[in-house]
Amino acid sequence: MQTTVEPPRAAAEAEVTAAGWPRYWPLLLLGAAVVPGLLLFSVGRWMDSPAVQAWRTVCLAITTQALPFLLLGTALSGAINAFVPARVFTKVLPKRAAFAVPVAGMAGVVLPGCECASVPVANSLIGRGVTPAAAFAFLLSAPAINPVVLTATAIAFPASPVMVLARLLASLATAVVMGWLWLWLGREEWLRPVARHTGHRPGHSRFTEFRTGFQHDFLHAGGFLVVGAMAAATFNVAVPRSVLDTFAGSPWLSVLFLAALAIILAVCSEADAFVASSLTGFSPTARLAFMVVGPMVDLKLIALQAGTFGRAFAVRFSAATTVVAVLSSALIGAVLL
Amino acid sequence: MRRPLQVTLLVLSGLGLLHASLFTDLCLRYVKPSMRPMLVVSGFLLILLGIAEAWSRSRQTPGVDDHHTGQGHIGENHIDQHHTELPEEHTGHNHSKVPRVAWLLFLPALSLLFYAPPALGAYTASRAATKAVPVQDAFDPLPATSPLPITLTDFTTRVQQDRKRAIKGRTVQLTGFVTPDKGSTYWDLTRIMISCCAADAQSIKVRVYGIPALAANTWVTITGTWHASGTLGTSSARAALNGVTVEKVAKPVNAYQDAPPFATSR
Repeated sequence: MQTTVEPPRAAAEAEVTAAGWPRYWPLLLLGAAVVPGLLLFSVGRWMDSPAVQAWRTVCLAITTQALPFLLLGTALSGAINAFVPARVFTKVLPKRAAFAVPVAGMAGVVLPGCECASVPVANSLIGRGVTPAAAFAFLLSAPAINPVVLTATAIAFPASPVMVLARLLASLATAVVMGWLWLWLGREEWLRPVARHTGHRPGHSRFTEFRTGFQHDFLHAGGFLVVGAMAAATFNVAVPRSVLDTFAGSPWLSVLFLAALAIILAVCSEADAFVASSLTGFSPTARLAFMVVGPMVDLKLIALQAGTFGRAFAVRFSAATTVVAVLSSALIGAVLL
Repeated sequence: MRRPLQVTLLVLSGLGLLHASLFTDLCLRYVKPSMRPMLVVSGFLLILLGIAEAWSRSRQTPGVDDHHTGQGHIGENHIDQHHTELPEEHTGHNHSKVPRVAWLLFLPALSLLFYAPPALGAYTASRAATKAVPVQDAFDPLPATSPLPITLTDFTTRVQQDRKRAIKGRTVQLTGFVTPDKGSTYWDLTRIMISCCAADAQSIKVRVYGIPALAANTWVTITGTWHASGTLGTSSARAALNGVTVEKVAKPVNAYQDAPPFATSR
């Protein structure tokens, strides 16, 4: 008798009914008061431990540093989208895609910023009918060969001005080779459709189009920037730099190692020359690889590209770029440095 | 992400940047002072964007703007849109849909506004790469003042590169923060320097003997003489001090640079 009655009664009592209280309400109340408090306290303690604080600082630093450049890039991409007619690009760039690639690579000189700015701009170029291969050459070369970055490189390596030339040549070569590689092997379906950039439509205010495009691109890319900054901060804090010195001895390993370091540190391209110059003990070629790979492939850039062009693209493109960049800096470093 | 949320996000991000760069010195914990004008401009720009979005939203007649709320639109056109993969391209404004990843932007914005992490300190210094001091061929004679205020970089260069050994026997005064060295009698007077943002931090350290270590990250000015180890004027010499006096000082506003102590009047 009891066994048949008990379960429904227990269930009824345990449940919160509109009329009454649950049976253990003082306990529940106490739990509700204590558990979130304890949780908050321990999370707070954890957040204030030195490692986590350093992580938060680095993460916020990367984001803060990149935000103005991201704004510049997304504003530019919004402007290209809304104000520049598509025929301008078809006029300026050579008709043959194979020739358009080096021209677009050289055009990277005009965008004074770091790599975060170039992703949205390249995306809007594709949207305006520029062949993707040329847009990618621009995407890769712009952060590495613009005057701001080259000046910074010259300041960071006062003793070897040839480093500036080597960086310019190696970056340009990588960008152009990657453009041609895309013409040869690239597939349109790896790219997320960029139809979002429809350009100016009759009946819409150009300014509103600019504003909404700007805003959308910024929010979109900004989110991915935070993802990238978190990943980079994790490596930055988790891998002590003293590990570096163990790799400095071997010439080949050191090139590969500094290339990998450039990817995980995600230092802004305007500053990477200073970091490279401080990596004493590494061969000049290895430092060149650091400066060539850094602006083209790094964690925050991969995140940004994945967000803008799609994951299928970002993975293939970044992997190929790394290989090409390491090869070209090894070649040019061997000749010049 | 709904449009009112986008407005909130834009304005909060803008406020965060302005708070860090214009109203306080927070941004100096993360980036170089030269970034400041750009941060201020970016902050204003973001707030402007937010206001423009809110304004354009308020001007639009309700029900026309937002097909994502999905209320009151039962037209064929709209049903058709929701079935296609990319509904945005066909009609109207296509920018109101922002992926969920944009939510993450709330983190830096709120963090800057309410929960800003401190500047990098002893934890990073004990693990970060050591900054190489610049190579210097000629050294000017040292000023005659005693104690001589000097930066950590200058002190290291003098100890390791000045063949005239001008630093020998001089009492010097340096400012930095404390990085304790576990289980040893010495500790490191430290400065962290950045070339762009805190992600590329490098540290420079001068070992201090003869004074017990204070708590990590305490900023101190220390007076002392070179602690003999290695041959002075060559790279075998270690940048180290026999500490004489130690004095707590306030953390400098721009902590990521190497500066000599303020000229002491006492």
